[in-house]
Amino acid sequence: MLAISKLSIRSGSQELVRSLSLELQDGEWLGLAGESGSGKSLTAAAIGGLLPRPLSCSGSILWNGLELLRLDAKSRRRLLGSEISYVFQDYRNTFTPFLTIGSQLTELLEAHLSLAARDRRQRCLEELEQAGLPAERVFGSYPYQLSGGQLQRAAIAAALLLRPKLLIADEPTTALDSLSSRKVLGLLDAAKSRFGISIIWITHDLRHARRHADRIAVMRTGSIVETGSARQVLEHPAHPYSRRLIASIPPLRREMPERLAASAGLEGEDPLDHPR
Amino acid sequence: MNTTMRNAGMLIAAAAAVALFSIPSPTPWNPYEISMGERLLPPGTEHWLGTDHLGRDLLARIIAGARPTIGIGLAVLLVSIAIGVPLGLLSGMKGGRTDSIFKPIIDGFMTFPDYLSAIILSALLGPGLMSMLIAVIAVKWVRYARLARSVALAEKEKDYAAMALLSGLSPVRLVLKHILPHAMGHVAALAAADLGKIILLMASLSYLGLGSQPPAPEWGSMLSEGRAYFHAAPHLMLAPGLAVMAAVLLAGFAGNRLRDRYDVKLKGGAE
Repeated sequence: MLAISKLSIRSGSQELVRSLSLELQDGEWLGLAGESGSGKSLTAAAIGGLLPRPLSCSGSILWNGLELLRLDAKSRRRLLGSEISYVFQDYRNTFTPFLTIGSQLTELLEAHLSLAARDRRQRCLEELEQAGLPAERVFGSYPYQLSGGQLQRAAIAAALLLRPKLLIADEPTTALDSLSSRKVLGLLDAAKSRFGISIIWITHDLRHARRHADRIAVMRTGSIVETGSARQVLEHPAHPYSRRLIASIPPLRREMPERLAASAGLEGEDPLDHPR
Repeated sequence: MNTTMRNAGMLIAAAAAVALFSIPSPTPWNPYEISMGERLLPPGTEHWLGTDHLGRDLLARIIAGARPTIGIGLAVLLVSIAIGVPLGLLSGMKGGRTDSIFKPIIDGFMTFPDYLSAIILSALLGPGLMSMLIAVIAVKWVRYARLARSVALAEKEKDYAAMALLSGLSPVRLVLKHILPHAMGHVAALAAADLGKIILLMASLSYLGLGSQPPAPEWGSMLSEGRAYFHAAPHLMLAPGLAVMAAVLLAGFAGNRLRDRYDVKLKGGAE
């Protein structure tokens, strides 16, 4: 469905993503793991064609046979939201602060479908309901009137509103408490089983990966160092970097032999933060 | 300054504006009627503010002058916003080459004080109301362009802007619905404070003889006309001078009030 091959993203002479190749099957949940600055978010931005200006990219991103890197603006707009959608980490800034959640959701429907106003509203309410939110209240609320967990669930409702085939979730649970994270992950799980959506789940926290992801790709300094089934990568990491990454997860560390955690060496790499 | 005073300022400004713009002729005197027998009369019971060097009732002229002075000030303000905000948004959103064209223009204009640029421009264009308007607009739009540009630069980096684009909304829609309202809050605050400055700037240009020309009753040109008689009849300059001052102060009060009300930055950055 999605095939990235030899994707390179450059800022001047510096190569931020190096010849990255990745494939995603229908209905697959892929965990894209790695520390900050490893190029995960940049890869996600390249799929949506929203790389910050000075960055340039080469290679190929095929979406059902369509080359996304050479797509004209209009076709890209038609594709985004309806076939590929996004959820971000920072739920407070996902919605425009002075517009109600309802008006922002209906705007999405307006941009992609021709529906009567009442049907649009109904569709949004149903989606909010599905996300486990008090639909009527959330529909009429401004972003600041909702809690973080509610906002992130509303963001997922927005992302799922047009029944996309691919959801790119960029650390959607990082800023949430563990209970809200579980709810959010539960929602993504439900979406996957309800309409077979594929998910690219960008994370630096592999805690939930074992339960939710089908496959894990580990990124480091712009390249994928290891891919495999979630079980295989988490339990038998082949690359030393994967071993270190897994060893750094607090709840998993207890399950690991002390020796492995120590030998992995948990001192930080250069945490080069790229602009989104 | 406390809230009561500012509210009072707003109320007085609103009442004065309503009175000046709704009542067709609040005095029995014609602001253009020359009466050489009643030249330079001091303030009294018949002519409350006295008469000018041609025997015209000063109060009638002040009131008649309010419309061109404040009305044109408002018009200049709106035109400046209508030019500056779209250009600023365009420059900020597009970035790149578009921005590299606009930025030096904006910075260039901002380098010179308003008065200097306005005087030079209206002198180049020749005296007259129209050239004064063009000069003031040419000086003022830059501030709105700069403000809108900086709002666009800041807001387009935020997640919600990226989200709108990643949801398939067009950039035009993003700007009109999600970024323009952001800019307008700041623009309203700046505009309210700017109205007084524009009135003052236009009065100054008229005083220098570059703005509206006699016999039009405009506060700045009335000040200019009164200058020759300052020793004999100081009320000729005092009345329009006080009127300008009152208008500038009231516009300032109103501006502060609007800014306190709508500028989220002053409320501790809550959004």
